[in-house]
Amino acid sequence: MSFLRYKTLIEEGDLVIAYLSRENMTPLIVDSQKTYNNKFGTFKHKDMIGKEYGTKMPSHNGRGFMYLLHSTPELWTHVVPHRTQILYVADISYIITYLDLKPGSVVLESGTGSGSFSHSLARTIAPNGHLYTFEFHEERAKAVKKDFEEHGLSDLITVECRDVCKDGFGITGIVHAVFLDLPAPWEAIPAAKGAFKQNRIGKICCFSPCIEQVQRTCASLNENGFVEIKMYECLMREHDVKTIPIYTVADAINKIKIQQDKKRKRKDQNEQDDANSSKFKQDPPNLYVTKTPNEAKGHTSYLTFATFLPVLDDE
Amino acid sequence: MSIETLVKCEENQVFEQDGSLILDNQYVFIQLPSGNIKVVKLQKDTNVSLGKFGTFHSNGIIGRPFGHSYEIYDRDQVKVIKNVAFYEVDETDANNKEILDDPSKQKLSYQEIEKLKKQGLEGQDIIKKMVESHSAFDQKTEYSKAKYIKRKEAKFSRVFTPVKPTLYSVWEYFFSKNPGKIRDMRIDTLSQILSLANVRAYTKMLVVDDTQGLVVTGVMERLGGYGIVLGIHDSENHNYDIVRYMNFSKKIHDSLMTLSWQQVFKEMQVPFNYQDESTLSEKDLKYYLRRKTDYERIRDTREILWKGEFDGLIVASQYQPESILESLMPYLSGSRPIIIYHINKEVLINACVHMRISKKFLNPQITESWLRQYQVLPGRTHPSMSTSGGGGYLLHATHVIINDSLPTPIPSYMKQKDTLEGADKSSEYHNNNAINETNEKINLEQNVISENYLMNNEELQEVDNKKARLD
Repeated sequence: MSFLRYKTLIEEGDLVIAYLSRENMTPLIVDSQKTYNNKFGTFKHKDMIGKEYGTKMPSHNGRGFMYLLHSTPELWTHVVPHRTQILYVADISYIITYLDLKPGSVVLESGTGSGSFSHSLARTIAPNGHLYTFEFHEERAKAVKKDFEEHGLSDLITVECRDVCKDGFGITGIVHAVFLDLPAPWEAIPAAKGAFKQNRIGKICCFSPCIEQVQRTCASLNENGFVEIKMYECLMREHDVKTIPIYTVADAINKIKIQQDKKRKRKDQNEQDDANSSKFKQDPPNLYVTKTPNEAKGHTSYLTFATFLPVLDDE
Repeated sequence: MSIETLVKCEENQVFEQDGSLILDNQYVFIQLPSGNIKVVKLQKDTNVSLGKFGTFHSNGIIGRPFGHSYEIYDRDQVKVIKNVAFYEVDETDANNKEILDDPSKQKLSYQEIEKLKKQGLEGQDIIKKMVESHSAFDQKTEYSKAKYIKRKEAKFSRVFTPVKPTLYSVWEYFFSKNPGKIRDMRIDTLSQILSLANVRAYTKMLVVDDTQGLVVTGVMERLGGYGIVLGIHDSENHNYDIVRYMNFSKKIHDSLMTLSWQQVFKEMQVPFNYQDESTLSEKDLKYYLRRKTDYERIRDTREILWKGEFDGLIVASQYQPESILESLMPYLSGSRPIIIYHINKEVLINACVHMRISKKFLNPQITESWLRQYQVLPGRTHPSMSTSGGGGYLLHATHVIINDSLPTPIPSYMKQKDTLEGADKSSEYHNNNAINETNEKINLEQNVISENYLMNNEELQEVDNKKARLD
């Protein structure tokens, strides 16, 4: 249940995210018989048991260390075996809010992919909501089903292997929100319409990387009676903090003087000047600054949202 | 369980009222033809005035589901009108060549329009009349015809849409009305706070909210009544005005607890003077009981805070983040998130440096969200011409626990620093002097080191290499 309830202490069988660096994390299932080896050293699982989550653990030979983190959907996104393209936190967050998800919501997702977004959805709709997720790739469907079981999410998530564009969802009139991450979402929109709980408002999001897909999606949403069709792009940009020295023109002149002194020294072989020349050197004031990375995510996907209207009695 | 049996379960399950119906005595946002939004607390058997767009009787919409638009007719009656996404606009041969900005093209005068209104002509009919009496309407391109009608609708239409209060719609209302009140926080940033803080049922969240309760509202909704949100507020009484617009159930309201900054600290406790209730007059008793309830609420909330083991700390406050961390970090469990929001990045830069110097924060980073809306229409798809310039910044990190009894590898330059300067590296994380110290001591060489200070193995190795190069 570690995705749905926080724990304080690490126990046998827990899922721990071993954090070595920002780019290097590994999921571990704690098994007191096992040892985890990496380039920073040897870590015995049995040493983790009883420790508080978040503990910084030194390796057995003292060469390195790692942090023992509690699993969260965000960390799982980092460590999920990359079976497909995953969604990023900016998109995930915006979609969840826009679809008005909260404990108790009933959601439909297709395709499941690596199940990374399913974890975020399950987190938000727990404990009394439900996620129906559909994946047409059989191996992937099996793999995520196993993940959900291991992570205690089976009661919240129903996975089915199904080609929804051809065969529909097999559910009608029960969901509050729909999320479609499919190559041709417009093929699934008529079936999605039927999956909505018919007497209440609902929200749909289609996730497509190409603008041509967005245009066909919007046309289909319009034809199927969806309203408030809106499209967004959402990205997250990092600002790295560092300190830089701020030199002045006087520093620049000093620097030249020092260089000249050195030259003269070499010429004259006179060491008495040494003390005089070094007095120019001063520590410059430092400034905290931020810098955006040279390369950042420029596009993930377009998010097309629309509203499902409750069906009127005479319709 | 197969899909079919689950479907059956769902149908039999009685959901709590999930806010999808328009109900009496609840808040509702009303979108007007002009695009403006009006907030109304609906009361049955009353008239709701929408200013120049008319008045309607509340019973006309109470009990109906959210989603539809309504048109006012017969003075105060309403009927559902078909809500359409967009009309397909076909391009014709017409172009803008002959179009001149000439108000005389519209033959109907203001007085005549007012007269039509008095005769009881409804919104759509007036617009139709105006189109008919526009001498150059046919010369317009199809796009500008659609634009013209839309513009007239914003003025004369009597169609309104009751909007369900959701985190999004409530935010939209406050952001468009007075963004300063919610510290200019944009919804994408708020959404990221809720994700990064891992807010969900069965969590205990600590929130410092100076955004009129916007952040607290988001947290309460995601807890769904299963958990606690402890709001630390400015002033003596909290000002979480936004919470009420969500029409939360009692269960969700009960998950909110509040303390003022003064009440957070143990030494500020004022003991309550318990009295014998039978000796008090009726008037005094009422006052006494209110004071007693207040005292006990604060006492119990303080106990909950001091017990600690909170699952996340969210800060969206005007006060210095470092001072907030110093006050509240002791109450946070390990491997739990800390998220600090500010509209000014500079405030977060100092807090980020503070976090890096302390050993209790793993991977502090500053991020900024970027949001862009597009117009998607057949043949006319492009990003919006104007947009919000910024949605604020987030500083986020994970609380980690350093057990000093365990040997921790210390890089060579750190050992050297310790012996040279006698700096106490095992001191509390809230070493106020730490920042000043570094400010003073950092020189060109040490820059490289200080910013990577105790980050992680790989970076430390890299720093060692850099150091070697510098030497």
